[in-house]
Amino acid sequence: MATQLRELPPVRIFVSSAAFAFKALFSWLRPEMWLMQVFTLPLFEMAFFVYLASFVAPTTPNIAFIAVGNAMQVASFSSIFAVCNLTSEEKWQGTLIPIIATPANRFPLFLGRAMFQILNGMTSIVVGFVYANYVFGVDMSRTDFVTLAVVILITSLAMTGFGLMLGSVGLFMRTAMIIANIFLFIGHLLCGVNFPVTVLPVWVQPFSYVIPMTYGTMAARAAVQGANIIGIAPVLLQEIATGVGSILVGYLLFVGFEALARRRGTLEEY
Amino acid sequence: MDVWELPEKPEKAIVVRDLRREYHSSKGIFRKKREIVEAVKGISFEVDFGELFGLVGPNGAGKTTTIKMLTTLLTPTSGTANVLGFDIVKNVTDIRRRIGIIFGGERGLYYRVSGRENLRYFADLYGVPMSKREKRINDLLDLVGLKDRADDRVEGYSRGMKQRLHIAKGLINDPELMFMDEPTIGLDPEAARETRAMMKGLVERGKTILLTTHYMFEADELCRRIGVISSGKIVALDSPSELKRFVKDITVIEVEAFGVVDADLATIRRQPDVTNVSADLEGERQTVRIQTAKGSEFIPVVTRLLSRAKIMDVRTKEPTLEDAYLKLVA
Amino acid sequence: MSQLNFFSDPQWIIPNIMAPFVFTAVALVFFRNVSGPLALYAVLGGGMMGMWGNTLYGAGFALSFDRWNGTLEYVLGTPSRLVWIVAGRSASSAVLGLVNAFAVLLIAVFGYRAELGITNPLAFVVALVLTLASLSALGILFCSSFLLTRSAQLLTNGLEMPIYVASGSMFPIALLPFWSHPLSLALGPTWGIDAMRYAADVSYTGMGFGYWSDILVVLVSTLVYLAIGFWLFIVVERKARRDASLVEY
Repeated sequence: MATQLRELPPVRIFVSSAAFAFKALFSWLRPEMWLMQVFTLPLFEMAFFVYLASFVAPTTPNIAFIAVGNAMQVASFSSIFAVCNLTSEEKWQGTLIPIIATPANRFPLFLGRAMFQILNGMTSIVVGFVYANYVFGVDMSRTDFVTLAVVILITSLAMTGFGLMLGSVGLFMRTAMIIANIFLFIGHLLCGVNFPVTVLPVWVQPFSYVIPMTYGTMAARAAVQGANIIGIAPVLLQEIATGVGSILVGYLLFVGFEALARRRGTLEEY
Repeated sequence: MDVWELPEKPEKAIVVRDLRREYHSSKGIFRKKREIVEAVKGISFEVDFGELFGLVGPNGAGKTTTIKMLTTLLTPTSGTANVLGFDIVKNVTDIRRRIGIIFGGERGLYYRVSGRENLRYFADLYGVPMSKREKRINDLLDLVGLKDRADDRVEGYSRGMKQRLHIAKGLINDPELMFMDEPTIGLDPEAARETRAMMKGLVERGKTILLTTHYMFEADELCRRIGVISSGKIVALDSPSELKRFVKDITVIEVEAFGVVDADLATIRRQPDVTNVSADLEGERQTVRIQTAKGSEFIPVVTRLLSRAKIMDVRTKEPTLEDAYLKLVA
Repeated sequence: MSQLNFFSDPQWIIPNIMAPFVFTAVALVFFRNVSGPLALYAVLGGGMMGMWGNTLYGAGFALSFDRWNGTLEYVLGTPSRLVWIVAGRSASSAVLGLVNAFAVLLIAVFGYRAELGITNPLAFVVALVLTLASLSALGILFCSSFLLTRSAQLLTNGLEMPIYVASGSMFPIALLPFWSHPLSLALGPTWGIDAMRYAADVSYTGMGFGYWSDILVVLVSTLVYLAIGFWLFIVVERKARRDASLVEY
């Protein structure tokens, strides 16, 4: 049965793309570099904002809020930066054309290649929480770890979907990395990472609510304080919705890009 | 590979009817000027099963545009084409499944993985049955002579090896019909010869190949029929021998000289009964080829016109396919 | 000339602006209920980070870009030492950072209506220029390692955050754990920004050494960086030629 399933074209393309993308498109990252990224980035980002907050309000620093938010935000590196890098690598290697020339079903192809980043994202977040707890003293005694695990999984998935969408937008541009760099950091401002979204001007807030991370940070904080899955279900569902929405938009853009490029003759353009 | 889902196998492998392709470009930032370039201006031709068909023409003639349309990488502006019985606009996936594409070049391969892994991935994307995959990959690696380097990263491959991997990739789905865009360009003579031998072998096994090239001798050697494209139109379509008949009344006078300048060539071109003059003026030994209907009696005229240069040798030659081509695209 | 390459792809300026900009914005949100010269901290900090980011990006990335384009081999072959080429890039990147800093300033003043007053403009400018010099010198130093690694870009990403934290861009280094102080103090620009704050705000106490001590340290550190940088470059250049590790990307 398993072999039969594996032979089903979409599944096969999905699995193959996932494994292949890791080796072919992600291995620009040497293991040492990757490890450095996973272990140092969360620490320093968290440190920056925590110390800054302590500086501004020495008597009432909201360290727990900031540390948890930053732990989650760490996923942006894999879900946005690394995923957009997939697009940029493909373009650079000129492999978009041979891929488009195949009869392969575009959806599993599109989705499969980002799979490793989901794992990567989850690992980074976990490391982030370790720092939050042991370095910055966030109290996790009441945490519902199962719920937190679910939040981490869903956030990583949804943000990777968001990243895929950005990567698809990047197809139309000279390089996807501009978009990646913009969105990599914007989470700090928009997604309730360092302060609640409600602090932002009213006209900015809708943008926050389109990004899955906004819901992720909310859910994570609740889980750390002991809420269970039922309690945060509405937030999680919204997060899933934004994630799925992103994937769909990203897929449509991907397919649209192919159609447009075929019509205009711009497939070779970098 | 038996993949015919139609009631019968179509009569021809490729049928092209009045295919056109325009490119739009806009220049300037403020006052956008829209420019329309017609790369392919209504071409029609057919390719039989089991044929090695060549499409030749100068750069920019429309060969690559045509092949891109036939391989579904570009949509035509108007006109129709059927590849293996499927429409190139409406049945894109059906075509992609059944054809092999070899465009070659430095790009188009995944550098950081091995040749074998590249082939495995594309095998997956083309849906090559898992039971056949490994064997086919090994056979292909054997065929293109990459067996011993198959597990090295592609970034370490030479130009020739990359080209061979492109060929293996193009055969991964055991296609009935193959499109090859300048497959021997950039290869050293031995590799090029092997590639040509391989192409002949494929045709002998019953495959159909549409080839673009600007090496006339290659087209002459390999192709059963040749379509000559110039400025987006087909100016001739026939077998090599028939095409050569186009220049059968022409003698080629080949002059080896030293000190010939462009002005001399212009003078020769202006002479009556001279159909074409081509020259290689680079380097110490210059070669001038003059096509003329007059035959060897034209030689004294040539020596007189080139009196300022130092002539080392004058020969008459039978016109080749290249001469026919030059005359056609002039 | 090599800068033209960088500028012809203006999109690469965006990442250099993004991180400092976002972080400054967050800082300004943190500072929203605080009045007075503390807002200056945020703006100075943002500008500072912008300059850092550009130094790291400009030097590291330009090399990475070269690497990809395969032009690095040609550049190495030119008579003018690679060091000078990179120095040129480093310096112009730092200046670019200045533009960046200016942009941050504008945004802060007009976007956030922060109040800024600089008490001693001349001293401020002197400190600023010297800090830029120090940054450029550090950039050269970093460059040498980038020459050998495949992932210069990733390394710059990796260095960016630690430096924002350690250099006291946004908050006094006194807040950081004591064991990290030596590291912070080893960075010339840390002293530079301290000097700038002295010049800007009369009531500033900062690291406690005073403006002129800061300036002195910045100068000395710049020279030290340059010396190490030059030496490293020569070493690296030789090694790279020997090991042929530049060809692969």
